[in-house]
Amino acid sequence: MKQGNIKINSISKSFDGVEVLKNISFEIKDGEFFSILGGSGCGKTTLLRMIAGFIEADGGAIYLGKDDITCLSPDKRDVNTIFQTYALFPHLTIYENIAFPLRLKKLNNIEIDREVKKYLEMVKLSEHANKYSSQLSGGQKQRVAIARALINKPKVLLLDEPLSALDAKLRQHMLIELDNIHEEVGITFVFVTHDQQEALSVSDRIAVMKDGEVLQIGTPSEIYESPANAYVANFIGETNFIEGKVVDIEGKFGYLESSNYGRIKFELDKEVVVGNFVKLTIRPEKVKISKSKPRYLDDNDNILNGKIEEMIYSGFQSKFFVTVGNNVGDKLFSAFKQHVDFFEEDAESIHWKDEVYVIWDSADSFLLEVM
Amino acid sequence: MNKKKFSLNIFILTLIFLYLPLVVLIVQSFNSGMGVAWDGFSLKWYDELFNHSARLWQSFRYSILIALTSAIISTAIGTLGAISLQWYSFKHKKYLQVISYLPLVLPDIIMGVSLLILFTSIKFKLGLMTIFLAHTTFNIPFVLFIVLSRLYDFDYSIVEAAYDLGATEKQALTKVILPNLMPGIISGLLMSITLSLDDFVITFFVAGPGSSTLPLHIYSMIKFGVSPIINALSVILIAGTIALAMSTKKIQKYMVN
Amino acid sequence: MKNQRSGLVYSAPITLWLTLLFVAPTLIVIVYSFLKKGIYGGVEWIFSVDGYNFFSSSYFLKVVWNTVEISVIATVITVLIAIPTALYIATSKYKNFLLFLIIVPFWTNFLIRIYSWIALLGNNGLLNNLLMKLGLEPHQFIYNKFAVILVSVYAYLPYAILPLYSAIEKFDFAIIDAARDLGASKMKAYTKTFLPNIKPGVVTATLFTFIPALGSYAIPKLVGGNDSQMLGNIIARELTITRNWPKAAAISTILTIITVIFIVVLSKYDKDHKGGKV
Repeated sequence: MKQGNIKINSISKSFDGVEVLKNISFEIKDGEFFSILGGSGCGKTTLLRMIAGFIEADGGAIYLGKDDITCLSPDKRDVNTIFQTYALFPHLTIYENIAFPLRLKKLNNIEIDREVKKYLEMVKLSEHANKYSSQLSGGQKQRVAIARALINKPKVLLLDEPLSALDAKLRQHMLIELDNIHEEVGITFVFVTHDQQEALSVSDRIAVMKDGEVLQIGTPSEIYESPANAYVANFIGETNFIEGKVVDIEGKFGYLESSNYGRIKFELDKEVVVGNFVKLTIRPEKVKISKSKPRYLDDNDNILNGKIEEMIYSGFQSKFFVTVGNNVGDKLFSAFKQHVDFFEEDAESIHWKDEVYVIWDSADSFLLEVM
Repeated sequence: MNKKKFSLNIFILTLIFLYLPLVVLIVQSFNSGMGVAWDGFSLKWYDELFNHSARLWQSFRYSILIALTSAIISTAIGTLGAISLQWYSFKHKKYLQVISYLPLVLPDIIMGVSLLILFTSIKFKLGLMTIFLAHTTFNIPFVLFIVLSRLYDFDYSIVEAAYDLGATEKQALTKVILPNLMPGIISGLLMSITLSLDDFVITFFVAGPGSSTLPLHIYSMIKFGVSPIINALSVILIAGTIALAMSTKKIQKYMVN
Repeated sequence: MKNQRSGLVYSAPITLWLTLLFVAPTLIVIVYSFLKKGIYGGVEWIFSVDGYNFFSSSYFLKVVWNTVEISVIATVITVLIAIPTALYIATSKYKNFLLFLIIVPFWTNFLIRIYSWIALLGNNGLLNNLLMKLGLEPHQFIYNKFAVILVSVYAYLPYAILPLYSAIEKFDFAIIDAARDLGASKMKAYTKTFLPNIKPGVVTATLFTFIPALGSYAIPKLVGGNDSQMLGNIIARELTITRNWPKAAAISTILTIITVIFIVVLSKYDKDHKGGKV
């Protein structure tokens, strides 16, 4: 059934002369857990509310399955929303909140009771049926909102930063629950968030937005490993950038001359010619550091000398900021080192101001831009 | 703490100022004599009040009738008006904002005079109906502002949620907006009843012969000097008002829980 | 997307009602003020400015002066009493209870409250009885300017206390301590920090006292005398006794205009000084 797929066609929107959505087009597949990720002001919430029907587009169209829903009012769309503040009805019990959509449709009491109980069970709130929302915790309120939205059996569920009001531990837990519910129910989820961790952990695909435009759409690993540009690379996780002029090409690899790091070998993810200026990105966890020169190196490894400038300990990992080369300007190069390394044969402890080798495989870098 | 003592003194004097005349009335209502001089304790004025003042009770009944009907109509009209001002745009919005604010600040007499001239110029007979129309008119802005102030703090997302879940405008209004607006609506209703029961000036101008409200009746009693019953009536009204105020507080407490 | 048509539906009853029963009558009054007085009362549909001829009447001018004088004095006294009263309540532990105490007399019927002063101030009233008991001469406390001002203050005091209380409640008293810390004397601290910050409350209190006072009818009628008739009384007299409708309409129109000017001026003042809406 391809009914729950959403097609966004050339959607644009301005508020008070400011362009909030700039000619956006993409498609969300039926049954996907699709995240829209971006900083505040990027337009993600506006887009979501447009799909829900609360905002009218200035131009373009939105399709749900085969139907053009661009001009439909929210109550006529087969789409339901989880609001950021949950928007539970304070004057109704949890039971009645969840029953609300069915009461609108004037189903009989027996049917309503059966359905409501089923969804109460699904979100594990059966014993709280007669409570009011003011008596519930944040996580419980969200579960009520989910049950209430799903009981209508919509084709798409929209989630507007549903976890932002929860504390960190609870967020993790609820994220997993959302994932489970998505598995169970199987409908399309469109999840808006500013938290890249959340998006990376549960999405089938992510759209990264900035200033009203979609910068990249891809699976979490595509976005992480092959970011479309520097903004996406920096927004998702942390990264290093190396810029330089291409001086040589050898099969699948190239060499660039960088003012700070010298001659660097990199994999050709895009086509370049000698003389191009390029920008690479390397994830910190791909960069290894070691006090003694590693024994197993090959042609494809880049190896530099550096000094530990800063160390940040975070429990399960440490971040090392290393100054490399002639220290022209303050070029820091961050690297992660898992503490699990301490169990290796040549495990060593690294200290501030230690001289270290910085190594990474040229296949692990990603060619971002050819300038 | 000079400032503190100064304001405390002013406060006490103000309290005395506010309550003294009322205390005098209460005491005098039990005064057997007709004048101010104390002639012994008596309940005879209460007896006069309850048993021999048919016209007074008639005007009281009219007051209640008009208060209830004008309160209900003005609350309904005012509540819908407040909702439209808070959440919708329409061509005459600015016009509505101005004309709903003005009646609150203009002196009563202007409204009384203009309604009298209106009614007589279209040859509408003065009577209970004109009083009802007048009372509803001055009640509407009060209801509007009371409900509007409630709407400022109203979480609109629950209305959006209702639409999202399939509610039509009417369903959203009756099943979500009005139930959550109830405290404001009740406040508006009570305010309207109070204003209507108490009104003198506007009623004075638009009442016809034979249609008297309690304030009008009291006025004529004062003018014609039938004094001691007024004392007894005053006490009854004061006691009744306080009882009503206390019970509405209790009802509101109950509703919050 | 809200159905904007609902906005029209919800706003229709109130707009219609107020237009028919508030705007239309006001307009009719203005029109009537420019018509000729009918022989048996009412109006004749002939243009005339006779209604505005009252400026030639010295009696009328006297009444205008009385009205303004009484309103101003009553307002000043009321606000001066209201400020420390509201201050005391707002800074007390028992503010809700004290507020309740102040409001309760306010709930009693307006006429009863006026009447209670007749009982006190009247020629056979309590005060005079007391004076006579003490062997002193009875005094004329009622049916004069004094009584009108006194009873007006009594009637409007709660209208002044409430908005002042509201404004003072929002005031952060730590500012006064800060001012004193920086070297201001107690008096200076209050005048330079407290009063300016409660200005909106003062403006509202003034508005809600002065405007009703200008339009007073019942108070001057019941406790006033020849020296204290106010505009409201003249309007009523022209309307019901002399049956000079254009004149009544004209005075009413003037009163309306004065009121509107006052509101506009005061709310502009409020906007300029606080940057917010009235």
